[in-house]
Amino acid sequence: MRTIDQNHGLIRSYDLRRPGVKAGYTVMYALLTVVALVCLMPLVWVILSGFKDQKEFLRGVQAADKRYYVRFLPQSFSTEGYLETWRTMKYFRYYVNSFIVVLGATVAAVLCNGLLAYGISRLKPRGHKIVLALVMASLMLPATTSMAPLFMNIMKLGLHGSFLPLWLAFGANAFYLVLFKSFYDEMPGSLIEAARLDGAGDVSLFFRVVLPLSMPINIVIAIYAVNAAWSDFLLPYLVLNNTVRETVMVRLFTYRSSDRIKEIEVIRAIVFSIIPPILLFVIFQRQITQNVMAAGIKG
Amino acid sequence: MKHTLRRDFTAWMIMLPGVILFTFFVWYPLVMGTRLSFYETKGITTVAFAGLSNFRAVFSNPDFWPAVVNTFKYCLWSLVIGFLAPVALAIGINEAAFGKNLFRVSVYIPNIVPGLATVFLWRFLFRSGESGALNMLLSALGLPMSSWLSNGAIAVPLIVVTMTWKSAGATMLIYLAGLQGINPELYEAAIIDGAGVWGRVRNITIPNILSLGRTLLILQIIAVFQILYEPLVMTNGGPNNASISLMQMVYRYAFDRFEYSKASALSVLVSVILITLTLVYNRTTRSKAA
Repeated sequence: MRTIDQNHGLIRSYDLRRPGVKAGYTVMYALLTVVALVCLMPLVWVILSGFKDQKEFLRGVQAADKRYYVRFLPQSFSTEGYLETWRTMKYFRYYVNSFIVVLGATVAAVLCNGLLAYGISRLKPRGHKIVLALVMASLMLPATTSMAPLFMNIMKLGLHGSFLPLWLAFGANAFYLVLFKSFYDEMPGSLIEAARLDGAGDVSLFFRVVLPLSMPINIVIAIYAVNAAWSDFLLPYLVLNNTVRETVMVRLFTYRSSDRIKEIEVIRAIVFSIIPPILLFVIFQRQITQNVMAAGIKG
Repeated sequence: MKHTLRRDFTAWMIMLPGVILFTFFVWYPLVMGTRLSFYETKGITTVAFAGLSNFRAVFSNPDFWPAVVNTFKYCLWSLVIGFLAPVALAIGINEAAFGKNLFRVSVYIPNIVPGLATVFLWRFLFRSGESGALNMLLSALGLPMSSWLSNGAIAVPLIVVTMTWKSAGATMLIYLAGLQGINPELYEAAIIDGAGVWGRVRNITIPNILSLGRTLLILQIIAVFQILYEPLVMTNGGPNNASISLMQMVYRYAFDRFEYSKASALSVLVSVILITLTLVYNRTTRSKAA
């Protein structure tokens, strides 16, 4: 066992010389390991299960004594099953639709919330406090309340089956706006003033100076928005259901009460829906975990 | 900065896209929803003023009281199962001398799994009968199988377990940040005063993350109170209404039966309950803190 060296936290290395503390510390490690396994095993299980076929998934594998035994690992790691579900359920199309939704939603999330936050934080025109108060109020009010009226308005505008409302919905997010605002609040004003003295107008100033300077926050919001837009299903379901524009999540949601679809196909559909977010996490692990911490402390 | 008409105009033009979108997606639906709750609707058109009849219809719906009781049950169970788990995890992971990052990432990973995929996945794990994953695990260990979500007595806590699995990681990270903000000199001082490990937890760690915990508690209650797709997918509110939630009733009114005015009336009720809860909570915690 490696020596434990920590002399600034709650438990110090000399505490661990006491048997009681040492036993407690060991129990803590055991518990953490169990929790980590509980967090990871369902994901490992679903991915491994997708390799099985319907019979192996539901009953297990028949052994020499003619009885069926369930195994954690699939009998073979052939990707044929995954590929078959991908083809027969036309997942390519749902992926393309999801990517279109994610792309538009992310652009709207960064641009519209960013512009509004910039106005409230730096330009401060007369009346900007009313907008800020309304945003803060909507942060407190339960969001799901507006689902029915919002859907009615979308129908009235004839936007059923269109990606447009799904993109624009991400342009009005109070949480993103607050993160943007606190970034702009702390941004040094000298660079902006310098560019202003060169005669740049507010609009070109935003796109030429402010936007490039705010890349750190833009990336954070973009990561949040990509994940949220990919996972979103209620509004996409209401808007896109029964059209050719259904997304991966909308498709998954329609499986909730369907008896005609095999269990193993649903398992594979779950895997298809979690692969992109997991890839995103693997690539941006550091940014995601650190910014959740930063955002949480400010909020 | 000096206000000139031109400058203000440009500023408002910059803010305009955001203001329009907030109006369409957030503010107007809230106002319209409140108004709709007092009107009669047919499909997406408003027909006539209806007074309180939507609210009466909601109250006399046989699902209403089970939904109210269950929604509070969800909140209660989420406090029992979900509130202290992230605190304990954060303290443990913060003290882990090695493997810290591995633990942190493992506990956070369920959070990036889409919510809908999470509930489908756990519905498979909780499947009753011999083909359920957890039942297979139980019988492999020689334990009796459970009927899981088909058992009304445990459906709500099992759904809360699923929610906790998904969300504890994110909350844990927030507490972790809070713990790392504690001044090490405080521990130093406590050690000199002869405090043991448990004494340090009680007198330094807990008091320092208490206000964070207070904020996260009410945010958790507000979120859990609006629980919708977990029972919708995992149990469809059953068995026998044992897990139906208020927002699920809203969903049924609006998108199964297209009775938007009744959906709005129930939404307004939920909002009123939540606003009242928040105000009462803020008042009591503030007077305690003072």
